[in-house]
Amino acid sequence: MITLGSQGKNTFLEDVNKKSGANVLECYQCGKCVSTCPVSQYMDFPPREIMQMIKLGLRNESYMANSHWFCLTCSACSGRCPREIDIPAVMEAVRHLAIEENYINDSKKVKEIRKFHEIFLSMIKRYGRNYELRMMAEFNIRTRNLFKDMHLAPKALLKGKIPLGVKPLKSAKAIKRMYEVAERLEKNK
Amino acid sequence: MKKLTYFPGCSAHGTSEEFDSTLKLVLKTLDVVLEDIPDWNCCGATSAHVMTENLAYALPMRNLVLAEKLENTTMGIACASCYQRMKVTKVHMDENPELAKRINTTVVEEGTYQGKVDVKSMLQYFYEDIGVETIREKVTKSLAGLKVACYYGCLLTRPKNITNFDSPEYPVSMDQICEALGATATEFDYKTECCGASFSISNTEVVLNLSGQILAMAKESGAHAIVVACPLCQSNLDMRQPDIEKQQGIKYDIPVFYITQLMALAFGNPIDQLKFPKHIVPVEGALANIGKVSPVPEKVKKPIKAVEAESEVK
Repeated sequence: MITLGSQGKNTFLEDVNKKSGANVLECYQCGKCVSTCPVSQYMDFPPREIMQMIKLGLRNESYMANSHWFCLTCSACSGRCPREIDIPAVMEAVRHLAIEENYINDSKKVKEIRKFHEIFLSMIKRYGRNYELRMMAEFNIRTRNLFKDMHLAPKALLKGKIPLGVKPLKSAKAIKRMYEVAERLEKNK
Repeated sequence: MKKLTYFPGCSAHGTSEEFDSTLKLVLKTLDVVLEDIPDWNCCGATSAHVMTENLAYALPMRNLVLAEKLENTTMGIACASCYQRMKVTKVHMDENPELAKRINTTVVEEGTYQGKVDVKSMLQYFYEDIGVETIREKVTKSLAGLKVACYYGCLLTRPKNITNFDSPEYPVSMDQICEALGATATEFDYKTECCGASFSISNTEVVLNLSGQILAMAKESGAHAIVVACPLCQSNLDMRQPDIEKQQGIKYDIPVFYITQLMALAFGNPIDQLKFPKHIVPVEGALANIGKVSPVPEKVKKPIKAVEAESEVK
């Protein structure tokens, strides 16, 4: 549904432009981003369509699309965009807005991707660095897929590819404080 | 003797320990001394910028501020993802002092961000600060006979306005370094395609597909091995290779080296220091090609008439 703000203003376009620093209106729909994107085949709406949806003010539909969750920020699209639009920044802006406004895409894949990032960030909050083994274990437990990648475990562990522990930061408290301040900044924007 | 501020990154203590240790061997030969950023923290990787804007800047900023306290003004980063996060933060902070001030409130105790440290990937450091010629001079054991596909991935050269290094479409820095070591760099079209990166765990299906295409193209280019400068690329192409082979029903058997492993080898370091047993895909087959150079160039171009005659016979 097209939702426009007061006086028919496309507030969604304004929000995305402000957050991303890009100007989505410059997109002339050539589709080069789609043919370049390594993951467009997995997206509900490929990048070109998301750009048009933003122009039309389709806030709800853009938030609920899986596209911004599948974007790998590889920047192949923006490198080839004839209008030089920072498309990954646009994708990121849509995602951040969706998170802030509590839109939750509950497809299995998106849930797993989001869970992974949340677990990763919780590892850093706790140790200041990534604890790979624990991160993988938590991911398997919390996505109820205990045996995922278990066939790789014996070799990876035996070869020391994945260490059993992590050396936490001396100033782990500094990271916790950083998280708190960053969260406050996020709210008071 | 040169000094370089060093950000190892989490994977240097984990999945890419061999990148870190062989990098140190290489720098010893090149007479560069590393100085670790004291008590560095994770850069936030993909997860921080996917989920939140402020934390994605705050985590790298703490490292940048800590690095400014050291004498040297260049920071070398082994991991391509850490490099990208650190460089993005630096560029955005330098462009926007207002934003820098806001993010700085998350790391007040560490100090004030001044933007005086330059951020480089180790590949960029080798290419720009050391130079291909110096690397060539240090080679004591040529890798002649070994054909490699140099794979850069997304983050070392893209986006151009952030990295400001090499070409985002067809980079050549790693190729030139490999050729200086005596190896042959193949014509490889998938140099900067994405391997699937952070989906390694959360969306493995995508990684198997994308990394599978890279392996196929590398094989087609005639390479014995792939060379990388990114821990995530290495683990996706190496650790996931048996799964890709199973899915596609093709045996690739193509090892994935870190550029520093090959440099250390060519600089004459003993093979048992290069951590080859850590690889999932065995390296021996590819390394056996070193020294096997036929005296006559392999592809002797036949005159066009001879080719036409041949095709007529068929």
